[in-house]
Amino acid sequence: MKDFRYVGKPITRIDGREKVSGAAIYTDDIDFGPNLLYAEIVSSPLPHARILSIDTAAAEQVEGVVKVFTGRDFPFKFGLYMKDRYIFAQDKVRFVGEQVAAVVARSQQIAKEAAALVKVEYEELPAVLDQMTAVCDECTLVHPELGDYPHVPWFFPKPGTNIAHWRKTRRGDLEQGFAEADHILEENYEVPRYAHCAIETHVAIGKFDHSGRLTVWSSSQSPHTQRHLFAEALAPMGLTHKDIRVIAPHVGGGFGGKAGVTMEIIPAALATKLRGYAVKLRWTREQEFVNTYQRLGVVAKIKLGVKKDGTITALDHKIYWDAGAYVEYGANVVNAVGLSAIGPYRIPNLSIDSICIYTNLPPGGAYRGFGYSEMLFGLESHMTTIAKQIGMDEIEFRRKNAILEGDKTAYGAAMNPNGLIEAIDKVVEAIDWHKDYQNTDPRKAIGKGFAIFWKAPAMPPNASSSAFLKFNEDASINLIISGMDIGQGYQTVMAQIAAEILGVNPAKIRVETPDTDRNPYEWQTVASHITWGSGNAVKRAAIDAREQILDLVERVHHLSRDSLYLEDEAVKCHTQPSFNLPLKSFVVDGIPTEDGSYRGGPINGRGMFMPEFSSATGDPETSQGGHPNVHYTVGAGALILEIDRDTGKMKVLKAAEAIDAGKAINPDLVKGQITGGLLQGLATVLYEDMRYDEKGRLLNANFTDYKIPTSLEVPEEIIPIIVEVPQPDGPFGARGIGEHTMLPAAPMIANAVEDALGIRIRSMPITAEKVILTLLQKGKQDA
Amino acid sequence: MAKLTLYVNKELRSVEVEPRETLLDVLRDKLGLKTPKCGCDRGDCGACAVLIDGKSVRSCLVFAIECEGQQITTLEGISGDKLTDLQEAFIELNSFQCGFCTPGVIITATELLEHNPHPSREEIQEALSGNLCRCTGYTPIIEAILAHTTKEGK
Amino acid sequence: MSGGFEYYQPRQLSEVLSLLERYQDKARILAGGTDLAVYIKEGIEHPEAVIDIKRCAGLKGLDVSEQGVYIGAQTTFSELVAHPAVRMDYALLWDCAHSVASVGIRNRATLVGNICSAVPSLDAAPALLCHDAVVHTVSASGSRDICIHDWFRAPRQTARQADELVLGVSFPKPAVRFSGIYLKLGRYRGEDLAQAGLGILYTQQREYRLAFCAVGPIPTRARRIEQLIKGKTIDAELLSQARALVAEEVSPITDIRSSREYRLHICEVMLQRGIQAVLERYDGKPIHAATVLGG
Repeated sequence: MKDFRYVGKPITRIDGREKVSGAAIYTDDIDFGPNLLYAEIVSSPLPHARILSIDTAAAEQVEGVVKVFTGRDFPFKFGLYMKDRYIFAQDKVRFVGEQVAAVVARSQQIAKEAAALVKVEYEELPAVLDQMTAVCDECTLVHPELGDYPHVPWFFPKPGTNIAHWRKTRRGDLEQGFAEADHILEENYEVPRYAHCAIETHVAIGKFDHSGRLTVWSSSQSPHTQRHLFAEALAPMGLTHKDIRVIAPHVGGGFGGKAGVTMEIIPAALATKLRGYAVKLRWTREQEFVNTYQRLGVVAKIKLGVKKDGTITALDHKIYWDAGAYVEYGANVVNAVGLSAIGPYRIPNLSIDSICIYTNLPPGGAYRGFGYSEMLFGLESHMTTIAKQIGMDEIEFRRKNAILEGDKTAYGAAMNPNGLIEAIDKVVEAIDWHKDYQNTDPRKAIGKGFAIFWKAPAMPPNASSSAFLKFNEDASINLIISGMDIGQGYQTVMAQIAAEILGVNPAKIRVETPDTDRNPYEWQTVASHITWGSGNAVKRAAIDAREQILDLVERVHHLSRDSLYLEDEAVKCHTQPSFNLPLKSFVVDGIPTEDGSYRGGPINGRGMFMPEFSSATGDPETSQGGHPNVHYTVGAGALILEIDRDTGKMKVLKAAEAIDAGKAINPDLVKGQITGGLLQGLATVLYEDMRYDEKGRLLNANFTDYKIPTSLEVPEEIIPIIVEVPQPDGPFGARGIGEHTMLPAAPMIANAVEDALGIRIRSMPITAEKVILTLLQKGKQDA
Repeated sequence: MAKLTLYVNKELRSVEVEPRETLLDVLRDKLGLKTPKCGCDRGDCGACAVLIDGKSVRSCLVFAIECEGQQITTLEGISGDKLTDLQEAFIELNSFQCGFCTPGVIITATELLEHNPHPSREEIQEALSGNLCRCTGYTPIIEAILAHTTKEGK
Repeated sequence: MSGGFEYYQPRQLSEVLSLLERYQDKARILAGGTDLAVYIKEGIEHPEAVIDIKRCAGLKGLDVSEQGVYIGAQTTFSELVAHPAVRMDYALLWDCAHSVASVGIRNRATLVGNICSAVPSLDAAPALLCHDAVVHTVSASGSRDICIHDWFRAPRQTARQADELVLGVSFPKPAVRFSGIYLKLGRYRGEDLAQAGLGILYTQQREYRLAFCAVGPIPTRARRIEQLIKGKTIDAELLSQARALVAEEVSPITDIRSSREYRLHICEVMLQRGIQAVLERYDGKPIHAATVLGG
C-alpha cells in the first residue's frame, strides 16, 4: 500500500482553533440588529383533529406583535421524497406538537405571551398511535388523500390505507428455501422511537429583503437541498432558486436530524410576508424532541431457515415501521432497509417486506444509521439465537454466511469489495473472544455479545457533489464545497485530499461553511457518503488545478510535464533536482517571462462527482434490477458485559469494533466516529427511552428524563479497528463510516445479556429495569 | 428594568436587565458573548456553563440580576490573546467534533484544574458529568485533560 | 407581564423577614435557584417577588464541630462536598450531597433549598432523617425549631409558613462511633433524580437508622425494619425478614422514570447491600457508594 504524505495520517483538524477558542459561529450566534423579529409557534395539543377555527385577535392586539400567521397564509406542501407535508397545518393536525400558527413579535417574550392568547378550536378525531393498529382494516386514515401526493418513482404508496410505501424485495424460492432448512426460527422484535439530541437545537432565520430576495440562515446538513425545497414550497409565491440563498454556519451536531427540511421552512415562509425584516425561530429543547424528525419505530417479524451445518437457506423479513404523521423523508428509511434487510449475509432465498405506516406521532426521518440500527437489532439477535440453537459457534456462523465480494445483494447486484471476514477476525482477536471471562464477584454475571453490520448510502441515483478550489497569493488554498462539517471532520478530510494532490499542507487549506450563492452543489451531508462523493469531487478539483499548474510550467519552462511533480508548495522536477518553483510565486500572479509579460494567472480548480451507474428502477414487486445502492460498508463488533444480578445494572467492560473504511483518510477521525457512535448506540439500548401517553404526547421531552450519555457512561475500554479493503471508485479507496459505528451496539447488548443470564430480550431499550423484571417474571414461571 | 454592573472577562460592563432575564440570555443578547450556548435551558446539558467568581454555574439557571459586581468568565475570556495550554491540548488531540459543547467543557475543565491540577481519569469523568457531548463519546476530551496535566510535568 | 417579578437583594435578615411578611406566599426565597429558576421559566410558579438571600449578611454558614453539623441557608452542596470533616466523619451526608446532579448545579444549589423544594426524590432527606435533624426557621413574629420528621408534609409541601425563612438545619454529632451510606437508584451513572434512595446510619450500639426517599410522597424512616434489626447480628434469615418488611415501609409509584415493581425490588436490594456496606465502612473499608448497586 502506497504511503501518502497527508492521506492516511491522523492530522490535527483544521477547524480546531476555531471551535476550541470559541470563535466558531453557530446560527443562533449571528446578530441581526434591532430589526430582528422573533417567532413563537402555536402547536397542536392533540394527535389527530380537525381545525375548526383559529382566533388570533387577542394575540394581534398585544403591543410588540407584528403579525400572526396560520396555515391559511401558506397553503403549500413540501417534502423531500414525497410531498405530504405542510408549512403550517391546514385543515387537520396530525401529531401533538404540530405547528398550527405563528406569532411574530419584537421580542421572544412578547411572542411567547401572545402565542398563549391564540385560541384554536379542534374537533378531535380518532388517532392511531402504533403501526400495527394503523395498518389494520377499518382504521382511521392519517392521509385520506395519499393517492394525490407526488413522490419519487421508487415509492409505492397504497391509497386508502395508512401505508405510505411498501418496499418488496424477493429473490429465489422462499418456500423451497425453508423446505431445505433443517432448522427454522421465527421471532418478533420491537424497537421504539429515538431522538437525535444534538446539543444545538434547530434554529433558522429568514430574511426577505426589499429587493425580493430570501436569505435563510440555518443549522443544516443540507443547504442546497434546503434551498431546493424552499423553492418548491414557495413557488406559488413566484420564487425560484435564484431568489433564495441559504447560508449554513457551523452546526452543533446533526445525526440526520438536520437533514432535509423540518422547522426551517417556517421562518423562511414567514419572512416572505415580512419584507425587510429578519425573523428568527429557535426550537426549545422540548420542541426539538417533538417537532423535528425522530428515529422511526419498528416491529419486525423474522423467519430464518438454516441447515444443520449453519448454511442460511431462507429469510422472510417483515418490518412494520411507525413512520409518524408525515413521511416525506422517513419513507426512504423504510425503502433503504427494504433493500438491505438481509444484513451482510449471503442468502439465496429471501423475502423482505418493509412497510412505511402513517401514525399520529411526530414525523420519522433520517437518523444516524437510516433504519439499519433498528433492523440489525432484530437480525443480529436472531442470528446469534439460531446459531446457538443448532449448536454452532456464533462467530463461525457469521464467517460461514458472510457476504463476500461478488455475492448477490438482496436486489441482485454484486457486493463490492469488503473486509467483513477480516473485521470479524480482528474483533475476535482484539476482544479475546475465546477467553473465559471468569469473574470473582458472585453478584455479577459476565456475558459476551457479537454482531456484524453493514449499510449503504440511501440516496437518489443522481446525488452529486461539486468543488471549487482557488489559490491565494501565499499558496494557501480555499476549498469551496457545500458539504457540512457536522462534527465528523469533513473539512479536514477534504483538505487532506486536496493537500495530497497539490503538495500543500492541510493547515494551509481553508474550508469555510457554505453559502448556496458561492459554493457549488452538494446534495446533502447524509448517508455517510461525502468522504466518497465530495472527496471524489475535491480530488478532481485538485487534479484540475494540478493539471493547470503542470501545463503552465511545461509551457513556460520547457520541462516535460511527466517529469514534474508538486511537493512542499512547490513545483519540482525528477530530472532536474535543482528545479524548485514555489507555488506562491505564480498561482495568482502568473509566471513572469524575460520580456516582462506573464503567463498563466490565477489557478482555480473545478471538480464534480455524480455516480452514473446508480439507478432506482428495480422491479416494484421484487426490487430486482437497478443499482439503488452505490456500495456497502461493513464491520463487526463485540463486547464484554458485566451485569449485576440483583439490580440489572450493566457495565461494558470492553468493546471492540472494526469497520472497513476502504482507506481511512484520517484514522484519528475514524476512531472518533467509532468511540462516539458506539456510545450513542449503547445509549439507545441501555437507557434512552421515549415515553408517550395514550394521547400521543411525549412525556419526557427533556434531558432530565430522556437520558443521553455522560462522561461517566464511557465503557472501560474501547478498541477501534480500521480495516482497509479499498473502495475502487472512492478517493484513495475511501468509503464512508460515520453512521455505521452505532449499528452493532444494540444486538451486541441483547446477545451479551442472553449469554450472561440466559434471558433473551427482544425489545428495546434493554434497561436494568427490564432485565430484572424479565428475570423476576422468569423466576415466577420456573417456580 | 434595572441597571446591572458586572465584570465580564475582567471588563466592567453595564447593562439594563429585567429580573427574569437569565445570565445566559444577557451575556449572549445584550453583552455580545456568544460562547455560552443554549442547549436545553433547564440546566441539564452544561452548554451554558460560565464561571462566576471562579465557580462553574449553569448560566441558564442564574438570573443576570443576581450577579451584580461579580466576575463572570466565559470562553472568550479564557481564550484571550493566546489560547491556554489546555486549549492547545484539545486542538492537538482533536478533542471535539461539532464544537457546540466545547465552551462549556473547557469552562468545567478550567475549574477542575484550578483546584485539582492532577486529576485522575475518574475525577475528570466525574467533573465533566454535567456537560453533555453527543459527538465524541468523551474519550478524547478526557485524554486532552490528562495529556495537559502530564505536560505540566509536576 | 407573565414570568416577571420584583427582585430583592436584602443585605440584612430584618429586610428578608419584612419582605416575607409583606408578600407572604407571593414571594419565593432565592438561594441557588436551580429549582426556582426552572419553575419560573416553565410557568410552574409565578411569584410576585423573588428574595435573593445570597448577599444577606450574618447568616450562619456551614459549621462542623464537636457539637455536630450546622448547614446554613447559603450553604451549597459543593461546600458540603469539599468540607474535609463532612467527607471524613459524615459519610451519609457527604454521599447525599455528592449525588446531587453535577458540579455546575452543586456550586449553586443549597441543601436548605433542596429541603424547601421538597420533591419526593430529594437527596438531602435521608441524611437529615437518619440524624434526626432540626430545621431552624425565623419570621417577623419569631423563630421555630422544627423536627425534620415533621418537616415534610406532602410532595413539594413542608411545614414552612409563608412568612418564614429557613435559616439552617442542624443535627448533633452522635455520641458513639458510627458509619453511614446513601444509595441512590438512577437510570445510569450520570446525573439523575433518584428513582429510589436509601440512607443508612449504623452506630456502635448496633442501632440502624434507615431513611428512604423517592419511594413515597415524603421521605421517611423505616422504623419497622429498624426495630427488627436493632442490636442483632445480621444473618441471612434476618435479612430475609427485613426485606419482607420493605413493602410495608415504602409506597413507590410507577411513572416515566421507573415502575413500582422495580423500585420495590431495588429497595430490598439497597437494604441488603446498604447494611453490608455500612458495616464494612464501620470497619474502615473504603466503599464507593456509587458502585454498590453495580453498573
